[in-house]
Amino acid sequence: MIVSALWICLLLQPQGGEAAVPPDALAQLQAGIDAEKHRDLDTAITAYRQATELAPGSGIAFLRLGNAFMSKRDYAQAIPPLKRALELSPSSVPAHQLLGFALLAQGYAAEAIPHLDFVHEYGALGIAQLQNGQAAEAIENLQKALVKNPSDPDLLYYLSRAGTALSSQSLDKLLSTFPNTARGHQAAAQNYFVLKMYPQAKKEYEQALALRGDLPGLRLELGQVYATGFEWDKAEELFRAEAKLQPGNAEAAYRLGDALLQQGKMKEAAAELKRSDSLHEDMSETLYALGRAEASSAPEDAERAFQRVIELEKGSPLAGQAYFALAGIHRKQGKTEQAAKEMEEYRRIQPLRARP
Amino acid sequence: MRCRTPLSMQRIRLLSARMATASVLSLVCTFTLLGQEVPPKSEPVFQVTPLHGVDFTLRNSPTSRKYLIETMSGGVALLDYNNDGLLDIFLVNAGRMRDPMINPFRFDRHEPAYWNRLYRQNKDGSFADVTEQAGLGNAGDTNYGMGVAVGDYDNDGYPDIYVTNFGKNILYHNNGDGTFTDVTAKAGVAAGGWSVSAGFFDYDNDGKLDLFVTRYLDWSIEKSKTCGNEQAPMYCPPGEFPAVANILYHNRGDGTFEDVSVPSGIAAKKGHGLGVAFADYDGDGYTDIFVANDVTNQFLFHNNGNGTFTETALDAGAALTNDGKMLSGMGVAFQDYDNDGLPDVLVTQLPHQPYVVYHNEGHGAFSAQELESGFGALSGKVSGWGVGLEDFDNDGWKDAFVAQGHVFDNVESYDSSLSYREPPLLAMNRNGHFERGDAGSNVPVAGRGAAFGDLNNDGWIDVVTTSLGDHPQFYLNRGGKAHWLTITLHGTKSNRDGFGARVQIGKQVRFATAAGSYLSSNDKRLHFGLGSVECVTVEIRWPSGIHQTVKGVKADQFIVVQESAQP
Repeated sequence: MIVSALWICLLLQPQGGEAAVPPDALAQLQAGIDAEKHRDLDTAITAYRQATELAPGSGIAFLRLGNAFMSKRDYAQAIPPLKRALELSPSSVPAHQLLGFALLAQGYAAEAIPHLDFVHEYGALGIAQLQNGQAAEAIENLQKALVKNPSDPDLLYYLSRAGTALSSQSLDKLLSTFPNTARGHQAAAQNYFVLKMYPQAKKEYEQALALRGDLPGLRLELGQVYATGFEWDKAEELFRAEAKLQPGNAEAAYRLGDALLQQGKMKEAAAELKRSDSLHEDMSETLYALGRAEASSAPEDAERAFQRVIELEKGSPLAGQAYFALAGIHRKQGKTEQAAKEMEEYRRIQPLRARP
Repeated sequence: MRCRTPLSMQRIRLLSARMATASVLSLVCTFTLLGQEVPPKSEPVFQVTPLHGVDFTLRNSPTSRKYLIETMSGGVALLDYNNDGLLDIFLVNAGRMRDPMINPFRFDRHEPAYWNRLYRQNKDGSFADVTEQAGLGNAGDTNYGMGVAVGDYDNDGYPDIYVTNFGKNILYHNNGDGTFTDVTAKAGVAAGGWSVSAGFFDYDNDGKLDLFVTRYLDWSIEKSKTCGNEQAPMYCPPGEFPAVANILYHNRGDGTFEDVSVPSGIAAKKGHGLGVAFADYDGDGYTDIFVANDVTNQFLFHNNGNGTFTETALDAGAALTNDGKMLSGMGVAFQDYDNDGLPDVLVTQLPHQPYVVYHNEGHGAFSAQELESGFGALSGKVSGWGVGLEDFDNDGWKDAFVAQGHVFDNVESYDSSLSYREPPLLAMNRNGHFERGDAGSNVPVAGRGAAFGDLNNDGWIDVVTTSLGDHPQFYLNRGGKAHWLTITLHGTKSNRDGFGARVQIGKQVRFATAAGSYLSSNDKRLHFGLGSVECVTVEIRWPSGIHQTVKGVKADQFIVVQESAQP
């Protein structure tokens, strides 16, 4: 974890050019160290503070005092002695490191950045850059940190946030600089869609299409706006056009198949969903929709599709739905025992839904 | 097809407005049919028009507190209370709410503005408000009105009215002289709490109509909550309140009912019941029950034939969507839409999922076919309540009509793609696949109840819907050229209404009932569209077990079939 890195062992060796520490100050330093060993931070702070008074030119004394405050998570109190330590020892790695963390913890991201950069603390540096609006730099440094700690949830979280922030910054730039381009309208439409402002989203997509009708993805996105509003006939028309524009796009084929399925056009839906499956195999949603499309006309094919969903999904809600669909097929065929077993699986996966 | 067999004239008589000029011989077909059973592609032409004399407003009194009952009311019944051959209209009103409600809680139902209303149809097609003279005015200040069920529970030949409320329900006995008497206390059917839809049916085939009442929530004004936020408060979802059990009343035959919810097994299942419909889905001769539940599994109560029921929806495949997800079941129709002789279920619900069709596969199994049936393209961003499966274009295939409108009166502030007020849905059945039809109006309303019947006896099914804070809507079917037949059952050994009978013409089957939809009660007459067919055989399996066949029945008439004495 990032925070755990705060508690590094500090180098206590005097830094180059630093004045010699008088014996009484050294005694206070030792008393502080002993108190810290016994986790008596208040006593340690008192001792370190006396050491700084006895040896005001000692960077180590200020560094130890700052570190003791850090141990108490009193970052505000830690900052002044750490800054003083750096004035006395400008190249002190632990002082840069601790001050960078203290400043970041207090929300002074811009101030923290040079200190964290100096010591190559990529994780904390990335976080500070994210908070300072430098999303692109943040992504670079967080990715570096993840090389060392690939399973760190904090790093993954901040990398995700940085990605979103970069996307947002790019979008803002696009919208403010090129609002009347096809991409500008598309970006605006996406914003409206997220905000559930569907009429505005449709208008923006239509303007984008008017400017660049050849742009891949526009019809797919506009079709999804219509699909959200259950306007399946219009969605079908757009998905069909997208599928024609991008015959190799599995998603376009899936969306078209789903729109056909929602309208009860089972045969056409099955054909399109099979095509999507051939373009991109083992997509659970595609297979599930294919199963539904074939449940009445080709129950054996539907069974295969649902079984594959169960294999792929392993206990997810979609696997539960596939069990439910299988039970429906077998119930219809009079295979009541088999249907009962599948219903048991369904109940096991989705007990709250099945048993109100 | 050649119609040769003469009818038993003792058992059939004309009822229609045309009967004055129709000769008895015209009932019998003695000629070869010219047409085949190819349905004409005509669509019904609904004329949406006010009915002269009907001045009702459904006063639900919405408040900022979002008391849940405010958004759930609006029953309507089509019944011939005075047996003059013309359908009359009964409309349930809600009540006055204060904002906030103050204890003791009163809904001011004594004030005429909040009365339920009975409108008698005159011979000229106009209506007269006969509420007061019928004794149906004040429905009780502590009752907030919900729905209505109609059935002749005492087999005296006059339809009785049961009104459901948040509060105490009321059973009005039809005295046969144009008046009704509140017999709730004697009958023992007041229930209490929050009742929603109800229906009469004969679950034990003893010839006496029993009563089923759906119950929504364990809710009260004191327990009410407001969800959403301060700027946009909204009604809380049903999951915020405990589920409750439905009620089954057994008709003892002496004017009293016994609550058999526990011994029958009905009370064993708690849910959020809204709509209810009846049919014998497995052909065992006993009527089963389907309850549309809101955000709970749907309930299919299989009638075991021994006074008990087993809830089988999940294992029968009629509890969830095709994806195994719960639905917000509101209204329900339980009829055979694909002419395979087996009753199917259509459940309306809230947006983001289509209305669900549970297709009856036989051997007690259903399959959810919301997409195959075409409802995926017709619903999904609408909210359905009252619903009927009726043949509006008389082509021999039952179509669907749904009263629509969202639960939240401020839903637009949450989702701009949804609307509180919505036009109704007319879905035309094209060989088992539903396609959008023209309901005659795109005017959006907060639709709730819906009742179906032939208001003007022209052989074409009309619709009455209710909407919150508004007048009822009347969809008068102006018809076309296709043929039809409308049958009134007269049970003798079976219950007088013939509820529970299975009536078949060709491949078409109807299950005799006035129940279904949401909060509402339909014309009890059984209507069949015949397309180009001019002469048919009617097969009836009565609840008594008697099978009766009436051959050579000419199209385009109203007939009464009395239950034969012998099987």
